[in-house]
Amino acid sequence: MKAIDIIRNEHRALAAVLRALEATIADLRDGRRPPDFRLLAAMIDYIVRVPEEVHHPKEDGVFFPHIRAACPDAVPIIDELEHQHHRGREHVLQLAMSLIHFQAVGAAAQESFCAAAERYVAFSWTHIEMEERQLLPLLSDRLAPAAWAEIDAAFAANADPWRGTADEFERLFSRITALVPAPLGLGDRRSGLASRIT
Amino acid sequence: MSEALLEVEKLSAGYGDARVLDDVSFRLDQGGSLALLGRNGMGKTTLLTSLIGLTRRHGGRIRLAGRDLTAVPTHRRALAGLGWVPQERDIFPSLTVEENLTAIATGGAWTLDRVYDLFPRLMERRSNMGNQLSGGEQQMLAIARALMLDPKVLLLDEPMEGLAPLIVQELFRIIQRMIERDGLAVILVEQHAHQILPLTRDAMILERGRVVYSGDSRRLIDEPALLDRWLGVGAVELDDGTSA
Repeated sequence: MKAIDIIRNEHRALAAVLRALEATIADLRDGRRPPDFRLLAAMIDYIVRVPEEVHHPKEDGVFFPHIRAACPDAVPIIDELEHQHHRGREHVLQLAMSLIHFQAVGAAAQESFCAAAERYVAFSWTHIEMEERQLLPLLSDRLAPAAWAEIDAAFAANADPWRGTADEFERLFSRITALVPAPLGLGDRRSGLASRIT
Repeated sequence: MSEALLEVEKLSAGYGDARVLDDVSFRLDQGGSLALLGRNGMGKTTLLTSLIGLTRRHGGRIRLAGRDLTAVPTHRRALAGLGWVPQERDIFPSLTVEENLTAIATGGAWTLDRVYDLFPRLMERRSNMGNQLSGGEQQMLAIARALMLDPKVLLLDEPMEGLAPLIVQELFRIIQRMIERDGLAVILVEQHAHQILPLTRDAMILERGRVVYSGDSRRLIDEPALLDRWLGVGAVELDDGTSA
């Protein structure tokens, strides 16, 4: 698989978990279901750690430097994306703390958790959309085949990075899919979400 | 050129006197993977059902592993190695998951343990009846059932249809594992072209029952204008069933 395929695959997987988290938050707010902390923790673990440990390091270390060198008109986009990578770490801490607080004190902390999760989800959508709609289409004609070959080789050397160490993230994704109630996931619909596909 | 695992030569087929497929030829090698693309109504499903003998053949030939299947009835084509996963899934609702699997087992390379390894969710649900499964679980069971027949080539007809993005991603990874780890030859009809093309070695596009593209999947990824021309999906980037 080529680097650009891997980046898009990671975006798709993240998008699927973000959609499921949005629906979970909506159901919590509407009181349709009690919080399932195993599921919330698994989803937040995924949407935080996959970008921070797998996706962004590849972009910052391999992808973006090549684009800076070869594609000057993409530099403002790269600057903004790198800035977002940096800012994302602040959101992560806020989100993690709000989940711990929610689990510790219960309903009184639900709204602050939902708000933190929504901010992180909105931030993630903005970031993914910028890469998908502004950066990637710009590159297809601009980067020389030699630059793509170097990027592909660097990504290939990273094995199948979106599976993480010992397939950890793949197993985490499967666990999320198993826990999210049908029809969004494979979990028991009685304890899970209402039918909501937006 | 080595002998193809599946070879289709000038196949014309349809329903009654109506021809849906016209002069379709392609080959699939051992461990090969083919994305079968095209707009709705262009003959993709008809090609799969013609391979397993459910349409009226007007001409042409089908060979699997050197054996001519052209005149072989449907159930014998399945035993010969064509595993079909239809859009309708067709699982037995009044049998448990495990009974659905063992009822048709052939004692081949795909054992119950191996299938459960690929679909851990089915092992968790092995005592549930077919009609107690969610849509995603039914799709997993339909694929698992086809594997229990120990296919040489697996024919998947829009397996992601109607499923939520989480399940779509999960199924794509399972299909990727079947292709890359298990070396199973697969023909996949799928609307998520951008997602399936990086997984399959070859691609074929049907337009009104005729082949208009047959070649590397990579070329379709690298030249979006080709996809635009035949599928009108070149602009779709985040092809996960949602939009960013």
